[in-house]
Amino acid sequence: MPFDPSRTSGSSRAPYYGILAEFATPADLYHACERVRDAGFTRWDAHTPFPVHGLEGAMGLRRSPLPWIVLGMGLLGAALGFVLQWWVHASAYPLVISGKPYFAWPAFVPITFEVGILFAALGAVFGMFGLNRLPMHHHPLFRSKVFERVTDDAFFISIESWDPLFDQSATGKLLESLGARSVEILES
Amino acid sequence: MAQTEADLLDTPVAGRPTLILRSPDFHAITEVVAEAVERRTPIGWWLFFIPSLALLGLLGVAVSWLFWEGIGVWGLNVPVGWAWDITNFVFWVGIGHAGTLISAILFLFRQKWRTSINRSAEAMTIFAVMCAMTFPGIHVGRVWVAYWMFPIPNQMDMWPNFRSPLLWDVFAVSVYGTVSALFWYVGLIPDLAMMRDRAKTRTRKLAYGIFALGWRGSVRQWHHYETAYLILAALATPLVLSVHSIVSMDFAVSILPGWHTTVFPPYFVAGAIFSGFAMVLTLMVICRTAFRLEHIITLRHFDYMAKIMLVTGTMVGFAYATEFFTSWYSGNPYEIFTFLNRARGPYAWAYWTMITCNVISPQIFWFKKARTSIPILFVLSIVINIGMWFERFVIIVTSLHRDFLPSSWGYFTPTIWDISCLLGSFGLFFTMFCLFVRFLPMVATAEVKTVLPQADPHWQPGPEREIRDHRAARPAGGPEPAPEGAS
Amino acid sequence: MSERAVASERDLVALRPEQATIPPGHPWNRIPLIAAVCALLGAAACAILGAANPKQFFFSWLVSFLFFLSLALGALFFVLIQYASQGGWGIVVRRIGETIFAMLPLMAALFLPLLLGLRDLYSWTVPGAAEHDALLRWKAPYLNVPFFLIRAALYFGIWSFIAILYYRGSRGQDVTGDPGVSARLRRIAGPAIIVLAVTQTLASIDWIMSLTPKWYSTIFGVYFFAGSFVGFIALLSVVAVAMRRARLLDTVISAEHLHDIGKFLFAFTAFWAYIAFSQFLLMWYANLPEETIWYKARLEGSWMYVTLFLAAGHFVAPFFYLMGRTVKRKGATLAAGGAWLLAMHFVDLYWQVMPTLHPEGLRPSALDVAALVAIGGCFVAAASWLLRRQALVPLRDPRLAESLAFENA
Repeated sequence: MPFDPSRTSGSSRAPYYGILAEFATPADLYHACERVRDAGFTRWDAHTPFPVHGLEGAMGLRRSPLPWIVLGMGLLGAALGFVLQWWVHASAYPLVISGKPYFAWPAFVPITFEVGILFAALGAVFGMFGLNRLPMHHHPLFRSKVFERVTDDAFFISIESWDPLFDQSATGKLLESLGARSVEILES
Repeated sequence: MAQTEADLLDTPVAGRPTLILRSPDFHAITEVVAEAVERRTPIGWWLFFIPSLALLGLLGVAVSWLFWEGIGVWGLNVPVGWAWDITNFVFWVGIGHAGTLISAILFLFRQKWRTSINRSAEAMTIFAVMCAMTFPGIHVGRVWVAYWMFPIPNQMDMWPNFRSPLLWDVFAVSVYGTVSALFWYVGLIPDLAMMRDRAKTRTRKLAYGIFALGWRGSVRQWHHYETAYLILAALATPLVLSVHSIVSMDFAVSILPGWHTTVFPPYFVAGAIFSGFAMVLTLMVICRTAFRLEHIITLRHFDYMAKIMLVTGTMVGFAYATEFFTSWYSGNPYEIFTFLNRARGPYAWAYWTMITCNVISPQIFWFKKARTSIPILFVLSIVINIGMWFERFVIIVTSLHRDFLPSSWGYFTPTIWDISCLLGSFGLFFTMFCLFVRFLPMVATAEVKTVLPQADPHWQPGPEREIRDHRAARPAGGPEPAPEGAS
Repeated sequence: MSERAVASERDLVALRPEQATIPPGHPWNRIPLIAAVCALLGAAACAILGAANPKQFFFSWLVSFLFFLSLALGALFFVLIQYASQGGWGIVVRRIGETIFAMLPLMAALFLPLLLGLRDLYSWTVPGAAEHDALLRWKAPYLNVPFFLIRAALYFGIWSFIAILYYRGSRGQDVTGDPGVSARLRRIAGPAIIVLAVTQTLASIDWIMSLTPKWYSTIFGVYFFAGSFVGFIALLSVVAVAMRRARLLDTVISAEHLHDIGKFLFAFTAFWAYIAFSQFLLMWYANLPEETIWYKARLEGSWMYVTLFLAAGHFVAPFFYLMGRTVKRKGATLAAGGAWLLAMHFVDLYWQVMPTLHPEGLRPSALDVAALVAIGGCFVAAASWLLRRQALVPLRDPRLAESLAFENA
């Protein structure tokens, strides 16, 4: 259907959140993303029901900083686990049990490892939530009816209106020219 | 259906086999998975759920009586101070391991066939860990001091003994449970969002929506999400090795012949994966039939699982042989006695049950006919789990029942409460699993969709498309065109 | 990239034979000669120095023999597993593995010098050793020289048989292009792995564990396997990078393949540590004299420093070094890690064997170097000579295209 700037998913009062365009296949979306990236947009996103291989490259995303968070958390956890055991057995309450030395480092390894893994996993999950700004139950995209299919079989590009290059009419036309199946304006 | 599906398994050496049959589109996968949750509760579900719940009730009764009366209600006593309680614990922890193997290790090895079964296998892991944790929790007898197992000082200002493998176990199993739950939940988020977006009622929208965290499938989100998933897989892999290794150390750090042997850590891990896969198989055979997922959980998946069971079963058999040989080679009379006693002593029946079920029976999986026959797979999956339960029983009880002095010899016989606790733990497991398949999408749709050819951004509809359509149109039982990869 | 996309591109990316051979005049053509000269020099040094100190010679020879043997066995495992699991990514480096395990018959020949020194190496072979020792008497049905020799012959027979079978099959496929070869080799890979696991476990008992005849450990076979696999992957990374540098397979082996080799190296370094630590922890904890005797020798005197060096160098340092992505994808950094781990694998075997000869402490000897150069020279000369005569990748393996196009997710 042709793009009509006056048609929005809700009432037509400004300011808009941005434009949402639907694409038919991952391949169409991929090529459209490359073009949007090359056009120089920065405040935009693509939406897919499943991770499409290579799309982050087509969008020009940088590598996630998450591994560093996880490494830091893992080392912190391991250190805490080890220090706790050392402190309890060699410092706070030394007690001979089954003839083991107070500072029985080989026996400290399993718990050190487990606590390290625990912290690293917590870092991975909550680090990811933080980077992704989750939970976020309210978002202008959710007002769009077609967007409900984003978790099913639909592929979208959304461009936010506060992108410096954003121009309601031209941006909509661009998306349409990239093969969008439908384009709509989202109110904020 | 089964016959033609088996034909598809004629693996071409080149190319890769099709994992998902009937070439569905993305929406069809959403439908078939979500429909299982959204439709009215089928009668068949109640037929599974009610007996499971009854068994869970039995667990409640058995545990209450145990708390009221004390550990004496079980059949264990000196010299067999650990019996079914720890057998059940090790059994259940082991069951869980296949879930992590499927979700993490096969992910790292890029085995795409895991996508159809990983969700339910991970759920199985969590429920198995719940069952497992029950037993150390209740076997202390005085449950009100169970907090002595936590890393906090007790009322005497004493800390737990971190140098004890029993405390390592507390850490290992609870970390394992936590990380498995996190991994599972992270995998669920996109599918919970799917359920939210499809919800017809406000309750559903709210219930799924809250846990979906407002997921909107954004590539910027997927980007961090996939990194997190990869990292969790990389963390879960050493974790799963460590968990059963540490469980094995409950025994192996002791000086008891039959328990103290250095191969225990890797051998326990292999056995855990072995039994876990058998349990996955049992559950998947039921689910695939009950929820008509034959085209998503295909014979090919079973074929792969059977191969893994063959590999791990053979590893377990190899470990048995190594132990036996080394006990002789050690020249230590106690070691030698323990192993001969296993094979010839009062528990020989248990030992040979174990050997038959664990080492001999999976050898049938050398044959593809067996790997792709649902009845054989189903029966063997149960046989193997019986065998693996007996393995733990043999290790624990036969090593204990002949102490160093003949005056301290005994024979363990279970009581009705031992049996109730074991059966009851199955009740807990199946109750949880029934609830899971009723309320959550049991197949990771977002992952299965990535396996479809059109998920590739470089995929072009072309001649291949025609081959696929041709297959779909082909009358059942007709000749199968060669899988695309072979051409 | 999806499997299907690869399948349809198969014809486009087929490899021309000249892309995968050592061209005439290439510097690598000289390696066999150089290595053979080294082998001769090493052998001469062994003869001169060993005449004065035969006991040291036999131990040094044993360490180097085990080092190269374990690399070849690791290669055999790697290729068998690749067949059995129908792995796709590694086809481009499979020929390197095949060339290395094709050295197994050569290793049988290099085993022969040890037979002259059995009494120096293995105290239980000394006539009369069992007479006053109840334990050795008990073990005599297994630990006796004739049976030891029969077993060794069996191991080498079986290993050589499997190695030649797989080497010939793969080379034959280069000519015929018959995909049935892959199917046939895949079918027998499972049983071959079982046979290999059993023989390798027993061999590690015979040749390493029985150096301390009263000591035993059920995990020892797994430990030997873990070390040999790390050793082979380390060698593979070094050779793959060296080939790229020498502009041999630079169009074939990509950063993606290096990345996967690096992941294997990382994973198996951790696996080795897991097995090594399991054995140590269980023996340390139970504290039974019959078991701790092995560690006691390695935790006293200067051997203690070797033990610490092994823990740091074979696990801690490479673990953190190989963790990152960039390190694994760059040839120079990956090869540095591989070379280091290869050296650490040698240290590991040295640490397992040498305390029997020198319980008083670490005593490095010129013979250690001489034996390493002699055996290494033979090994490299033969392997590089094979490389000259063959394609450097299995040219017509049905999965070659998939491997060429391989990308890490």
